[in-house]
Amino acid sequence: MTNVLAMNQVSYKRNLKTILHDVDLTLETGKIIGLLGENGAGKTTLMRLITGSAKGKGTVAVSGDTVVANRKSHISFSEQLHGFSNSTKLDEVIAFYQRVYVDFDPKQFTELCTFLQIDTSLKLSSLSKGMKEKVIIALTLARRTNLYLLDEPFSGIDSMSRKKIISSIIKWKPENATMVISDHYVSEIAPILDEIVIVKDQTIYTHRPADSVREEFGVGIEAYYESLYKGGVQHD
Amino acid sequence: MQFDDKVPIYYQIKNHIYHEMMTGQLVAGAKLPAVRQLAVDLTVNVNTVQRALGEMIQEGTIESQRGKGNFVTTDTTRIAQLKEQLVVEQLERVYQQLHALNLSDDEIIASLKQYIEQRGQQHD
Repeated sequence: MTNVLAMNQVSYKRNLKTILHDVDLTLETGKIIGLLGENGAGKTTLMRLITGSAKGKGTVAVSGDTVVANRKSHISFSEQLHGFSNSTKLDEVIAFYQRVYVDFDPKQFTELCTFLQIDTSLKLSSLSKGMKEKVIIALTLARRTNLYLLDEPFSGIDSMSRKKIISSIIKWKPENATMVISDHYVSEIAPILDEIVIVKDQTIYTHRPADSVREEFGVGIEAYYESLYKGGVQHD
Repeated sequence: MQFDDKVPIYYQIKNHIYHEMMTGQLVAGAKLPAVRQLAVDLTVNVNTVQRALGEMIQEGTIESQRGKGNFVTTDTTRIAQLKEQLVVEQLERVYQQLHALNLSDDEIIASLKQYIEQRGQQHD
């Protein structure tokens, strides 16, 4: 089994405060991983440590590469479009992505836009919250990489859009690529997860197959996750 | 399809396909949709579908043909066995629950019989 990600003894502090401590995390190719944890637990920080936009102690290797510039080329990260002004048209954002990322597949992007009903002639300022998330997903999935990081793709959007986004993940994730999806409520993505990673107490608290939770404890992913926060799983 | 998050998803996928086999939506020898299509249709992970199908191939309820896809077995004895197995699983559940209510075997038979007769009358 080959690994797409190997994090070894990674620690990260911000303003002398420990955000993550001694993180060891190995992810296999071809999996969908739910990255779960409370707001402020360090999910986004973990993703930024993987891409290299945050620098901590320890080593991070993506597809065997530890050099940040190389790592970035293996990763498609759902960025929030903050770098673009509100008057930017979607077409211009797309042109930018095509210029910057050699692995951006315009044909695939068009398919995603059709499926997610995205009108690319609109300006960023005229997009609803849900539409903006769909655009981010389409841009992220249109790249052909080994590792996809989706940072809270479902926050604040309606259930129809959520379902569409979930379907597009199943449809378009390349078979050998791994995808990490962070979220703090899990019920809707639970059926598509291979594994769950729970961030708690400044580290990786649990990393296990999703079906093993159901099999061993007879509880759902959400109930299991909540029980960890309330203090301990009830074993039969 | 709605999933029960407390039950392993691969298991529910198997049951879903069994159900289609029992109700004739998937007849003996029928071709199953491609793995990714099944995943999209059921809104589940491709790997989980593969695990479910892998187990079904192992137990002989579906057959994999290289390059062609997956097919419901044409072995009707195997399908009959599967039906029996599914029936026993359901009966076991009912039996355990009635047993837990302190019913004896004779009482369980009697109450099932009575239930079925009354149910029949209501439907007439």
